Amino acid sequence: MSIRGALLVAALPGVFLSWATPATAVPLGGDDDESGVVEAHGFISQGLIKTTGNNYLAKSKEGSFDFTEVGINFTTHPTERLRLGVQLFANKLGATGDFNAKADWFYLDYRWRDWFGIRAGRVKLPFGLYNDTSDIDAARVPVLLPQSVYPINNRNYLLAQTGVELYGYVNLRAAGALDYRLYGGTISIALPPPTPSVTPPPRQTTELRIPFVLGGRLLWDTPLQGLRLGGSLQVLRIDFAQLFAMTVAMPPTETMPEGTPAKPAAVITGIAPVVLWVASLEYAAHDWLLAAEYSRWYLKVTDSSDPTRLSNATLPTSERAYAMTAYRVRRWFQPGVHYAFFFPDVNKRSGPGVVQHDFAGTLRFDINDHWLVKLEGHYMHGVAGVSPALNNNLSGNALAQDWVVLFLKTTAYF
Amino acid sequence: MRRIVSILVFAVALTVTGAFFISARPHAAQPAFQLIVNEKNPVTSVERKFVEEAFLKKVSRWSTGNLIRPVDLSPGSAARSQFSQDILGRSVAAVKSYWQQLIFSGRDVPPPEVDTEEQVVRYVVNHGGAVGYVSGGAVANGTKILTVR
Repeated sequence: MSIRGALLVAALPGVFLSWATPATAVPLGGDDDESGVVEAHGFISQGLIKTTGNNYLAKSKEGSFDFTEVGINFTTHPTERLRLGVQLFANKLGATGDFNAKADWFYLDYRWRDWFGIRAGRVKLPFGLYNDTSDIDAARVPVLLPQSVYPINNRNYLLAQTGVELYGYVNLRAAGALDYRLYGGTISIALPPPTPSVTPPPRQTTELRIPFVLGGRLLWDTPLQGLRLGGSLQVLRIDFAQLFAMTVAMPPTETMPEGTPAKPAAVITGIAPVVLWVASLEYAAHDWLLAAEYSRWYLKVTDSSDPTRLSNATLPTSERAYAMTAYRVRRWFQPGVHYAFFFPDVNKRSGPGVVQHDFAGTLRFDINDHWLVKLEGHYMHGVAGVSPALNNNLSGNALAQDWVVLFLKTTAYF
Repeated sequence: MRRIVSILVFAVALTVTGAFFISARPHAAQPAFQLIVNEKNPVTSVERKFVEEAFLKKVSRWSTGNLIRPVDLSPGSAARSQFSQDILGRSVAAVKSYWQQLIFSGRDVPPPEVDTEEQVVRYVVNHGGAVGYVSGGAVANGTKILTVR
């Protein structure tokens, strides 16, 4: 990857900014002048990923520009209590996205009281502090949110649901306030095309459907200004189909005296109930941000159409956590660091392929109120969050265990 | 020589003392900003937390039931900077980050921003539920100053 290419990434939003204008003119007239006003906001992000050792998120060892996000939204409130909105979003991240624009969210929102409102439509999932804002580069310091809790590869599964949401803000006077959100609906998933690979995977998911997702988030705004504590719970069911590759017969061994017979390629269906929870803490005051979250995800397989190849079983519980801090030194300069860990099996916290420790540092430069550039480096130990499909389906043991990820990303927004 | 040094020390002391009084006196007499509402608004004082919640759109109604319409000055203004630190407990840039989260997750949009204090006053005069802030010495005819507890 050349320096010229990197500079091109940083300069791209300048073109965008040439037509970016303030969202609306401020109505200075009477009380009714704001009803029906349509606000427009948008963003364009372009990133560059370069890694050592393993491909990560894209074919990144050679350097990859496959890290683009574009969004535009429109909101209006026809009456004092009713709001409507829609955001169109297109992205490209490695093999996913392909710039297909889709409705990222859309809703009608009726805020009856501050303590009770209802949204219907496609609504971002409030899981943890930042899941519902994880697409928004301008709203945070790091290029990548801690991937153990907010895996960008799971964007399709975890970002938004189509259904209803109840929400409210309850003032507790001297005890602070409670901010709650409860939701229920479905998630539609478009699977990415299979990544071309020298070694075909032993099985590949061909169909995914989430018939329901239910959950909620409760945040307590404590009496200490800027300190929030809370928890989120999410329950969903994944109906899936997987294509199992043909297997050859294996002769008897000491551990398997009967050997294994040859099996043809077959599509096997199953159901995976999933439960996720996360505990959250954030202190955001003046120019400081401190955040920490701890999460566990539970998954099992039931109703397998062929239990001899896909057994009905409880899968290992994964453990995820991070701690992050950032400080705004100047209006235009904000460095940040975070550490995150990910154990796919909470009972195995060491060994190749079963852990990922991520030490990250970010420099955020706000060139003006509508344009920023970020430079970020990660030192990774372990490969638990690495996609085998991007690495010739090699097992975790065969991948580099100590490796580095570098990001250069620029975003323009209005 | 000693006389010259004495004069210089005296001059420096006088300058420093004078500068202190010149900068301190108006500062003591006038707050960095004052909160204003429409003069028909019956509310006369509010808690700081309520103002924070109103400008972050966590609450939307006055105790009278009227819609709260906060209005901000542009990010570069001194009054906004002080208001942001004192009332919202964060810098203007941090507040803009907060609004980026809400805008692009579809939850809400920030209060309107105007360039001048005259425009804040005009907005407050023309909107019954409006609340804004202007610098301490600003004249805000047609509005009422709100006491923050």
